[in-house]
Amino acid sequence: MRKGKKMFIIIEAVLAVMVILVALAMLWERRGRDLDKISVIVRSSDDTQWAAFKYGLRMAAEDQNVEMFVVSTGAELTVKELQHMIESEIDNGADAVIVQPVPGAESEEMLRKMDRKIPVMLVEYAASGSDSSGLSVAAPDNYAMGKALAEELLEDYAGNVEGKTLGILSEDTDSQAALDREQGFRDVAEAAGATVSWAVTDSFSGESSASIETLPKVDCVAALDDASLTAAGERSSSNALNGALVYGIGHSTEAAYYLDTGIVECLIVPDEFNVGYQSLTECVKCLRDILHRMQDATVSHTVIRREDLFTKENQEILFTMSQ
Amino acid sequence: MFKNRHFKHLEKLKPKGIQSTIMAAFSVISISIMLILGVVLYMRFSTMSREETVQSTRKLMEQTGENLEDYLVSMRQISDAAYYNVIKENDLSAQDQDIQAKMNLLYEANRDNLQSIAIYNDYGSLLAAEPVAAQKEDPDVTNQDWYKQAVEEMENMHFSTPHIQNLFDDGTHRYYWVISLSRMVELTDNGVSQMGVLLVDMDYSAISRMMNQINTSNNGQYYYLCDSSGEIIYHPRQIQISDGITSEDSEAVAEYKDGVYDRVFGGEQRKVIVNTISYTGWKLVGVIPYDTLSAGTINIRYFIILIILLMAMMLVIINRVVAVRISSPILKLNDSVKEYEAGEKPEIYIGGSSEIRHLGLSIQSSYEQIDTLMKKIVLEQNERRKSEFDALQSQINPHFLYNALESITWMVEGERNDEAVFMISQLAKLFRISLSRGRTVITIKDELQHAQSYMNIQMIRYKNTFSVIFDVDPEVYSYCIVKLVLQPLLENAINYGVEGMDDSGEIRVTGREENGAVILSVSDNGFGMSEEQVRLVLTDSTRIRKHGSGVGLVNVNNRIKILFGKEYGLKVESEPDEGTTVSIRIPAIPYTEENRKIIEEGQVFGKEDSQDKGAQETQR
Repeated sequence: MRKGKKMFIIIEAVLAVMVILVALAMLWERRGRDLDKISVIVRSSDDTQWAAFKYGLRMAAEDQNVEMFVVSTGAELTVKELQHMIESEIDNGADAVIVQPVPGAESEEMLRKMDRKIPVMLVEYAASGSDSSGLSVAAPDNYAMGKALAEELLEDYAGNVEGKTLGILSEDTDSQAALDREQGFRDVAEAAGATVSWAVTDSFSGESSASIETLPKVDCVAALDDASLTAAGERSSSNALNGALVYGIGHSTEAAYYLDTGIVECLIVPDEFNVGYQSLTECVKCLRDILHRMQDATVSHTVIRREDLFTKENQEILFTMSQ
Repeated sequence: MFKNRHFKHLEKLKPKGIQSTIMAAFSVISISIMLILGVVLYMRFSTMSREETVQSTRKLMEQTGENLEDYLVSMRQISDAAYYNVIKENDLSAQDQDIQAKMNLLYEANRDNLQSIAIYNDYGSLLAAEPVAAQKEDPDVTNQDWYKQAVEEMENMHFSTPHIQNLFDDGTHRYYWVISLSRMVELTDNGVSQMGVLLVDMDYSAISRMMNQINTSNNGQYYYLCDSSGEIIYHPRQIQISDGITSEDSEAVAEYKDGVYDRVFGGEQRKVIVNTISYTGWKLVGVIPYDTLSAGTINIRYFIILIILLMAMMLVIINRVVAVRISSPILKLNDSVKEYEAGEKPEIYIGGSSEIRHLGLSIQSSYEQIDTLMKKIVLEQNERRKSEFDALQSQINPHFLYNALESITWMVEGERNDEAVFMISQLAKLFRISLSRGRTVITIKDELQHAQSYMNIQMIRYKNTFSVIFDVDPEVYSYCIVKLVLQPLLENAINYGVEGMDDSGEIRVTGREENGAVILSVSDNGFGMSEEQVRLVLTDSTRIRKHGSGVGLVNVNNRIKILFGKEYGLKVESEPDEGTTVSIRIPAIPYTEENRKIIEEGQVFGKEDSQDKGAQETQR
């Protein structure tokens, strides 16, 4: 009898515990899980060059069902400001951040420190050239793009660029991306016999941009990033480049427009949509799976000539840029 | 080995008590019913919920389809207006101002949804456009899809898939995503009729806005739009599809007619709802993954599990109460029986339902009966012992022996040697049969012999003052009888019947078989007895006897009943002054060694053993 009573109490207790668990599960289900929040910090975040990148982020956020927020920033960003921004995003409840780093070892150190708090994913390039940073990067293969640009130039000259003078434009020389692109370009162009007359680094905004016109005349100008390319396109359309042919890397509709209007000969477009999509997907994977180690993501690039700007595939690239 | 262990384990699990058996049975039945009920309910609810989801999706799609149709109809109306009201009525060269003004009017009225309206001639040259913008250097119009489609099928209007408009340069450095509605038109240029193409470019954002409005849920359900060949016009994950990150089976779905279909795509089962947009042949497709359908029912699942658990809790309590109520009286009865058996408490529990109460009463009465029987057996045993003792005593009645021997002495002294020899031989016969080698059951013949020897001795002693007649059917000689039952009867007949009568006393011994029974009677013609005396002869064993061996009729009666059964025994009939007849009634059992043993052992020894044990139990 006593045994029966004990059994009865045990069964009732087990059932009661199960009832509580199911009730909790119901409440949990009704309340829903809080969405993961991922913040994105890139320079000049409102610039059209980020359209495809942001579209990629938005699509990934929808696919992964997370909240994504792009922090509004200006063209210049110091390490301190970046740190401040990341910290404030963490305070605002960000579970991970996607950052276009400020180039330099100091920045890398700071980002590594942040990575200990929440997952940090870098986009476009690594903070410094060293591979030991341990921070994952989603970026195009910058060296390959530089190379591809030079190869397209060679193609136009049927491989004969002996004695041709080249000018290089880039937004900065601090970032590893810029260095790699330039290196890739130089490696191919100089090997083919072309001479780089000048390489200018400028933000191409405001007064300083006037200086391009004063530079010595060259046969071709290679613009290694979107800002440089739109600046070069602008100058070329007003014939300020003295008829130099423009080749460039870019991912804005302006860059495509200059290609469409024949001002730019050839455009290399990095797949910015996938930089955004894959960086955010990688962050989400890291948040949802503790064992997951963030991976680098290298995205492809597309070589577009004027005549194939409106092929089906390239129309989609334009579509992502137009978002 | 394993099997044995397995069965042992099962045996351990087997409920032993009535309460746990009832409880287990009730619980298994009720929980099974609940589970079946729960599953059926869940299936019903989830089916309803799925149907509801599919229905609401269909309604939403129908609504959106209508909106899209309205939009496309309005575009066609613009195209018709441009054609019939502007192009057909005016000469392009002569009335270009009119044409421009009318086209401007059309454009302005619909500018929210329109990107541009343009007219090209059959060489692909731009004749008129609204809004006015610079044409690109060489847009290669004739090679653009919309132009080719219009030329190929002149009689129809053609809706293109979305594409970048590659016609004008408005200086904004932007590219517009449009859907082109193109048709072949007949136009008049400088009075010459020629063919041309009218292009109405619709802003894609109008369509994407409509689609975005319904693509708001983030539970996996989505809607897309494709043309009749499956080429995607709008998809919430358009770029992911073209990048190969994900895929869509639009080509297969485009072949479906309107309706709801089950499809498995990419390892995922899903419901696909197809709605065709009229005229264009576009398909508006809603996709509901099964995961989404079941996600909607997850709360119902939890709710049903919760209800089942709560009901299980209640049922376990109810089952226990019922089991306790049913089993409690049985357990109490069982406990009281156990206590009774252990000799602790002689009271049997009586309570609970009528059946249990009846059972308790039955057990109680049977225990009482056992008690009574036990006491009776002890009593019978005692009586038997006493009668045996009495019988033994009668075998060697010293008074009788003394009288007989004294008679022999007189005979010898009076030199009546023959008589003395006869007397001695009769005495010897008497004792031989009395002893009978320790047997209790002998033949009737031997018993009669014993009676005769006894009577011979008595007749000598009483100097033949009475006569004795033996009238026994020889057929009964070979039947069994308890020894020394006639002698007390004869003794009584002498002492209370014929003693004191002058020569006229007569004792008659008769014997015959009657309906399977043997009747031996001893009759005398003496003084007889009153009715009351007759009644007391077989019931009052405490009577002080005046004469005789002391072995009363009560004793004889008891011995017969003990050995042969209650229905046998003595019967006394008497009339005062007429005489008395005492009859012995015994079963007619042929005398064999086997029958003798059965009667002696079965009735005497077997009974004695159990009676002894019973008596001991009762004493304890």
